[in-house]
Amino acid sequence: MTGVWPLIKIILRRDRIKLPIWILGISGSLLSIVPHKTQQYGDQTSLESLYATFGTNPAGLFLTGPMDGASFGALITIETVLWWGLAVAFMNTMLVVRHTRQNEESGAQELLLSGRVHRASSLIAVLMVSFAVNTILGGIIGGGLAVLESSWGVSGALLFGFSMGAFGFVWAVIAGIVVQLVGSARSANGLLAGLVGTMFVVRGIGDFTGSVGSNGLIQPGAVSWVSPFGWMQANHALTAPEWWPLIIPLLFVVVAIPCALWLLNSRDVGASILPEKKGNARASALLKTQLGLTWRLQKNVFIGWLIGAIAMVVSVGVLVPEMSTIYESNDSAMQLIEALGGDGELIPAFLSAMLMITSVLVFAYVIHALGRLRTEESNGYLEILLSTQLSRGAWLARHGVVVALGGMVMLVLSGTILAISVNIATDTTADVAEYIYAALSYFPVVLLFGSLYVLLFGVVPRIAGLVTWLLFGFVAFMSWLGPMLQFDDWVYDLSPLEYVNAAPAEDIDVQPLAIMTGFALVLIATGVVAWRVRDIDQ
Amino acid sequence: MATEEKIINIRDLSKRFGSVNALDGLDMSVTRGEVHGFLGPNGSGKSTTIRVLLGLLKKSSGDISLFGEDPWSNAVSLHGKLAYVPGDVNFWPNLTGGEIIDILGELRGGLVESRRAKLIERFELDPSKKFRAYSKGNRQKVALVAALASDVPLYILDEPTSGLDPLMEKIFQEEVLALKKEGKTILLSSHILSEVEALCDRVTIIRNGKSVLVYTLAELKKEHANLEALFLDQYDEE
Repeated sequence: MTGVWPLIKIILRRDRIKLPIWILGISGSLLSIVPHKTQQYGDQTSLESLYATFGTNPAGLFLTGPMDGASFGALITIETVLWWGLAVAFMNTMLVVRHTRQNEESGAQELLLSGRVHRASSLIAVLMVSFAVNTILGGIIGGGLAVLESSWGVSGALLFGFSMGAFGFVWAVIAGIVVQLVGSARSANGLLAGLVGTMFVVRGIGDFTGSVGSNGLIQPGAVSWVSPFGWMQANHALTAPEWWPLIIPLLFVVVAIPCALWLLNSRDVGASILPEKKGNARASALLKTQLGLTWRLQKNVFIGWLIGAIAMVVSVGVLVPEMSTIYESNDSAMQLIEALGGDGELIPAFLSAMLMITSVLVFAYVIHALGRLRTEESNGYLEILLSTQLSRGAWLARHGVVVALGGMVMLVLSGTILAISVNIATDTTADVAEYIYAALSYFPVVLLFGSLYVLLFGVVPRIAGLVTWLLFGFVAFMSWLGPMLQFDDWVYDLSPLEYVNAAPAEDIDVQPLAIMTGFALVLIATGVVAWRVRDIDQ
Repeated sequence: MATEEKIINIRDLSKRFGSVNALDGLDMSVTRGEVHGFLGPNGSGKSTTIRVLLGLLKKSSGDISLFGEDPWSNAVSLHGKLAYVPGDVNFWPNLTGGEIIDILGELRGGLVESRRAKLIERFELDPSKKFRAYSKGNRQKVALVAALASDVPLYILDEPTSGLDPLMEKIFQEEVLALKKEGKTILLSSHILSEVEALCDRVTIIRNGKSVLVYTLAELKKEHANLEALFLDQYDEE
């Protein structure tokens, strides 16, 4: 088809950094799990005890899928297939939206199509790129698994890799349909994220309603066949490999690609199949207030990270019963948790460590949400806002207040829901108030990240986000992986989390928190002063 | 002339970005009740001048006053007296035109409801569409309705009609003349010479950050056949 090859070159050129990062990030992180787990579950006994708890726990079924017996392959499958599947799905949906609907929205597509380029070329080009990307990704994962461990056999390892690749391509094709239906890249990405999430849950319901089959293992219920996640699980690649389920994604794309092309051919360029939703002709009373508008602009980022934080604490809560049986017999795991969460009893130490890890998500929320300041400036929204009676200080303050309150609410809810889910899932009792206080002890660190962003926004707006995210990356790395790695003491001392005691297992130490808060206030004041005397910089 | 109040008074104004002189000794004045045209080639410094006037950029040297006050240090209180339409109209893509008009109105201290309704009808703007769904012309209409429906002494319009069709251009001119009749002051930056001729009492022409000519329209018509001849003369000297 005319124009496909030049368009493929444009896609590869635009994504020359993004795609390698996605591919290496997904495959590298997945493969790095394997040696780690071989060390942890080297003997059959620990696998048996893991299976005994996972095989029967409904929450485990929902989050990880059924475990196919007490084997190492079954363990790696439940740990990786669904969660890395999520990443593969998003890599593909975002790839397709970026090179189809987003081009139409920006007007680039109009210019491209005025040349010797067929209307369907950009969709076909991006699907071809996606096919290649998924094949490479599947090859790396399959090959890597085959090299790292022999228990599942080369053919099983390759089946695992390529079925994940096929799964990714299915999502690229689904995205190819969705971008025909809606009018903006933003709504396409939103709709696709919702679809991926729904399919994850549909598969969860299928696993949840499964029954024990003739081989003594849990077989997912019929509902699982609706979901691409279910198709991927059906291979049992690392335990009892079967190639025939690969036919399902194959059949799907053979039917779905012509559908996407048909939809594309039956609409105008830039138009959507679904009518663009009409909004309100008047601003509501809430939207007309200072904080109401800011909330409206900040809402989606807040809700997104809140869902992430809640999913985190809920899964931690339901993991506690497994943890207590598995980890008590495992010395190295015990040491890790003690390093993270302090001495004392295992469960409170584990929960405190998880609360600290959850707080890192709240830091990310704050940086992401404050990034809005710079977006508003560079997109030109700010120019007209500041031509009104709104002052620079007031504008910054209302974003700051909404984000700070958002961070606080997120911490409180994380603590509350963690305690409640532990109370429901286990016979341990967690005091809700104690967990709320513990969660709030991370608020000074939230302030610290926020204040750093505000300072940089005032002084060097163009690199404010980059620098804050890099520091965040360091803190996240130190809190998640630091205890396992051996650094000099001063490296640990650089992370502000080092000065926060892991409550409630340890007592909250107020002094460093007060110092951090004071420091944050100084940074904010300096940033605000700098912001008020600088030029608006688009 | 000396007794007339100067709403905008700029003398020897400079603005440097690093080593680039965006404005280099600009002089300009706008008196109360006039429609003042602001003309010049692309990149000559019109938008920079307007941004300094709004207190978005800080002058490097020279004098600038808005209603007799410093636009940088008194930005917020001065903004109560003006409404602005930027050259590149860009707003939150997921809010509707109607919502944006109301939000800007609220931030400017309230809109005249009857004028809001009339302008939306005359400009044939659908206020319930999301901003991202508007064409260039309709995006400009959102900013225009929000500005023209505000009851303020000064309107600063930066190429407000570059995306409008001739019919809408005519309505825009009628609305500006109506504001002038009420005694409002308007600073109009524009490339559309017929529009400038139809609306403006005086024009300032700027090139490379300097004002090169200030004319009343009467003077202009006496010396030159029309504005276009004058304008092209100025451009050709480059």
